[in-house]
Amino acid sequence: MELSRVRELNRAADLLRLRAVRMVAPHGFGYLGQVLSSAELMAVVFAESFRPGTDELVVSPGHYIIVAYAAGPELGLLSEGELTTYGYDGSSLEAIGTESSPVADITGGSLGQGLSSAVGLALAAQLRHETSRRVFALLSDGELEEGQVWEAAMFAAHRGLDNLIVLLDANDSQVDGPVSSITTLDPIADKWESFGWAAYDVDGHDVASIADALGQAIAQSRPAIIIARTSTARGLSCLPEGADGHFIKISGDLIDAAVAELEARRA
Amino acid sequence: MHNLPPYPTVLKPYGRAFVELARDREEILCLSGDLTRQTEIDLFQEEFPDRFIHAGMAEANMISMAGALARRGFIPFVHTFGVFATRRPLDQIVNCVAYPNLPVRIVGFMPGVSSPGGPSHQAIDDVALMRALPNMTVVDVADATEIRQAVVAICDVPGPVYLRLKRGEIPIIFGARHQFSLVRAHVIDDGDDVVIFASGMMLSSALAAAQTLEDAGVSVGVVNVPVIKPLDRTTVIEMASRARAVVTAENHSVIGGLGSAVAEVLAEEGLGRRLRRVGLADTFAEGAQSATWLFKKYGLSTQDVVDASWEVLGRDGVAPQAPVLVTPPGEYAPV
Ligand SMILES: [Mg+2]
Repeated sequence: MELSRVRELNRAADLLRLRAVRMVAPHGFGYLGQVLSSAELMAVVFAESFRPGTDELVVSPGHYIIVAYAAGPELGLLSEGELTTYGYDGSSLEAIGTESSPVADITGGSLGQGLSSAVGLALAAQLRHETSRRVFALLSDGELEEGQVWEAAMFAAHRGLDNLIVLLDANDSQVDGPVSSITTLDPIADKWESFGWAAYDVDGHDVASIADALGQAIAQSRPAIIIARTSTARGLSCLPEGADGHFIKISGDLIDAAVAELEARRA
Repeated sequence: MHNLPPYPTVLKPYGRAFVELARDREEILCLSGDLTRQTEIDLFQEEFPDRFIHAGMAEANMISMAGALARRGFIPFVHTFGVFATRRPLDQIVNCVAYPNLPVRIVGFMPGVSSPGGPSHQAIDDVALMRALPNMTVVDVADATEIRQAVVAICDVPGPVYLRLKRGEIPIIFGARHQFSLVRAHVIDDGDDVVIFASGMMLSSALAAAQTLEDAGVSVGVVNVPVIKPLDRTTVIEMASRARAVVTAENHSVIGGLGSAVAEVLAEEGLGRRLRRVGLADTFAEGAQSATWLFKKYGLSTQDVVDASWEVLGRDGVAPQAPVLVTPPGEYAPV
């Protein structure tokens, strides 16, 4: 990948972070860590692969909907002004995705169901012979604890759903702490491979690696998963040590510092 | 008009009607949770293999997938036993089907204690679970004539539907001129003393009980209520107002199903009618070789409907006894 493209994609990722900081800031806390970890993954998907109107996006963990909202203006699906309503009473931009959430085709707050929904969309495309349509499903690592994910994984491979790509934000974070301290998920790639999937285990903050894996995943003749190894603290060095990555508190000077840091890097 | 017991029976009325419907409706998909023959959809699989989807023993995935397929213009009919269709994937039904208000048809076989397969196989709370969900339509039909009509009727309901079906030999209670309605409950008989509201398998028992009570001088109304949600409140109010007491009969727990739905209307309207609910009295059902034995043990027999009516009317003496019917093979008697 050209260095200039790498720079563009990194700027796009930081724009997602910046928008997320601004959405969360008025409330003093929120799902910022999810954007910090998935920013490069989703920036690359939206810039390199996702075709609005043709492809479909499932955001399985509803609290990750903030990263889809953040990408909304570039996708032409949301205005910057609408983003300021995030999380307020009466907004369709609820903090945990609902049926009213823009940008994503399907989202939901009860975890572990999104892959099945994505499988349903991919199956619909297969039944209709819509061969160019791709279904992208953003999943979180904690969700892999839900058995339904593996029901869906088996079904997708059995039906040869090569139009399905899972984007796994493996940030080693769930509500109770590091996923690795609660359930051993690794070797994640081996699990999916053994279920009949193509799996790509990449540094989830390295845009070139992500783009390379995405290209291979799309070309696969079976369902594919990008396992993006990430951190919920990435890209904001101003955050205090040990901040709760699932639900970051941010107020006062910290907001100014976060905005300044991101704007400086994007300049 | 309706037939008199013992009733003639047919096999696979659902499976046959479903195939006929699907012939004209290419958007219909058939999903199976590893109970294809048991849910009568082997007929569909033979006829339309490209629209038949084996989801396997994975009900959560099956329901969530069905929701997504419905978003893309398909009408998925999902098949398994009632327990596995409702209890197990309840959260998936809520989030992937009911909340988005999608036209998924969840078809659950083996209602209540119609199966001697133990509590794991007995859908005694499925109506309650489905009735509690916004957007859901809940249908529990009584006979083969209604099944054939209900399959067609539910196909075009804009939102989700739970269709509860008896497995195996299905009685023919109603003639060909019978009209199943998603809106109106079906008043079979008027009565001044007691009105019995019944759904599904308990309708034939209600009819038999009514006959026994009429013979003993009690004026009995009988209302077939195949659609438990949305409930036809108008007919419930009309018929309950006309009678002195009300009995409900359902092959289900008395909590959350037809009996609860009728009780809510009676209370909301301030009708002040005494009510008895025939059904499973907040218990699981164990220890059976046959379904008939379970219906008797747990108080869901024709005699139980007679007794409940007699008692709620405050009649003195022993309630009249319902005759025990001898049922030739291939025919069906009320439980
Ligand atoms: Mg996580």
